[in-house]
Amino acid sequence: MTTTTLEAPQPSGAQNARVQGATRLNFARVVRSEWIKLRTLRSTLWLFAIFVLLTVAFGLLMAVTFDTSGGPALDTETQKSFTVMVATLGVSFTQLVAAVLGVLIVSGEYTTGMIRSTFAAVPKRLPAFFAKAFVLALATFVVSLGSIVATALITAPILAGQGVEGQLLDGEVMRALVGGAGYLTLVALLAFGFGAILRNSAGGIATVLGLILVVPTVLGILAAITQAVWVQNLSAFLPSNAGALMYAIGDGSFMGGPPVPTGSDIITLDATQGFLVLVAWVVVLFIAAAALIKRRDA
Amino acid sequence: MIEIQGLTKRYGAKTAVDNITATIRPGLVTGFLGPNGAGKSTTMRTIIGLDRPDSGSVTVNGKQYAQHHNPMHEVGALLDAKAIHTGRTAYNHLLAMGATHGIGKARVNEVIAMTGLESVAKKRVGGFSLGMGQRLGIAAALLGDPQTLILDEPVNGLDPEGVMWVRKLTRQLASEGRTIFLSSHLMSEMAQTADHLIVLGRGRIIADAPVSEILAIATGTAVRVRTPQAAELANRLSGSDATITSIEGDVLNIAGLASAQIGEAAAQSGIVLHELTPLSASLEDAYLELTQDDVEYHSEVSR
Repeated sequence: MTTTTLEAPQPSGAQNARVQGATRLNFARVVRSEWIKLRTLRSTLWLFAIFVLLTVAFGLLMAVTFDTSGGPALDTETQKSFTVMVATLGVSFTQLVAAVLGVLIVSGEYTTGMIRSTFAAVPKRLPAFFAKAFVLALATFVVSLGSIVATALITAPILAGQGVEGQLLDGEVMRALVGGAGYLTLVALLAFGFGAILRNSAGGIATVLGLILVVPTVLGILAAITQAVWVQNLSAFLPSNAGALMYAIGDGSFMGGPPVPTGSDIITLDATQGFLVLVAWVVVLFIAAAALIKRRDA
Repeated sequence: MIEIQGLTKRYGAKTAVDNITATIRPGLVTGFLGPNGAGKSTTMRTIIGLDRPDSGSVTVNGKQYAQHHNPMHEVGALLDAKAIHTGRTAYNHLLAMGATHGIGKARVNEVIAMTGLESVAKKRVGGFSLGMGQRLGIAAALLGDPQTLILDEPVNGLDPEGVMWVRKLTRQLASEGRTIFLSSHLMSEMAQTADHLIVLGRGRIIADAPVSEILAIATGTAVRVRTPQAAELANRLSGSDATITSIEGDVLNIAGLASAQIGEAAAQSGIVLHELTPLSASLEDAYLELTQDDVEYHSEVSR
């Protein structure tokens, strides 16, 4: 391949004035830059496509295999629970996609060296960090909510045939559907925090998936063996357990999980508290990540 | 204008840059020369705040780089041609970089044309050759129409046409009153491009002077004289400070005297001269002379 270059570079006076007059660094522009970065990587687009596919596919699968024939008519509460469950069944899987996406979006800049271009353009660094987090959160929330609502709408006619009437306009159902999207968004941000701290794709993904998948299981086993209250309480504050409350209706026992233990010392969170716990995780990670980004050499 | 004041940067126990002070002035091409590991890249990275100095300060046009409202218009830097996400196209990379400062498609297309990247602009950077990566890095550096241009090994991987182009580009930008600071390990390239040289060895400045002066300091000047009366001329000059070496029968290398002095002395003694040529040492020679004690990694050619 031959590359030919113009005879001489021509940053003429008029052009100088134009470029100089219009340009200035500000946060809105950094957000725009991060948005361009997000939509111009194939890996990101693929992850979002998988995201939508998983949500719809699992919802459909559950809806078509659901069979109430012969049973008694379902009460309204159960119908609501079922509507939410079908629409958010994919979350167990898409949370992994959100985690990978959150890590890659920042670790990818470190592993390729892109971060040096980013910090050269935005030398205060933190605006780039927050703009990237903002774009990630917005895109994840919109895609999550879109795919969850789409799943609910697509499966509504199928469920109606099974005696589950559309409950989509019910306040509690809407809260749970939005909660599902909110949960995925916060998982993506949690992963983003780890990615920014570890600056490494494999390490970041392993850490987040460990926290979401492995730690709850380990604590669950520990709790079963020891029956220790503090282990159960600790478990309640894990991101996945606290976050699961955001998209559950009622006590969640309908989901087939163990009945929520009740005892004077055992902490049970409601949806809002679960949300706040997850937000606290993200805030702590972001503070650590921001401090490191400011201090470390790029 | 870049002002470096008492800059020190350590990586663990290793001191990469050791208390250097220098001013890189506008309107000139300043070359930054030194063996591998001398601290050139580290110094350049601290200028745009990618590395934090352990002590000392670096300012660009009177302010720290990060304090400028329009950083890409103050400094354009090519520090590492690989500082680009391999999954993105060249065009989208430039678009995203420019977007931070409100620089739009028109300017992106301009720098693509300036750097000759039109044919590959829509291709992903992962498949770029070293030379194309280098051109893209330079394109990114030029995006903000910067007052100060910092290029770390810009001709690395470029074909001869590209090398010529970088030389023209830097000369022209300097003539517009901009500050140009470039490093290179190609000393001959520096001789043709730079006005001023800062020579670095093991994190310290060895020389900071105009190119011509560096040449003179390092080796002095010698004059080649061709004459059928070589022995007579050698005799005639033997009383002076001149150091005379005979190369062939009728050729003498005379150091320590200007060609005018030699010519006049020959005329007075009626000695015929066939050639009288001032020899300027190559920058390579000067450079090796300056840095021979400061090279971190010696290569042993023969043992």
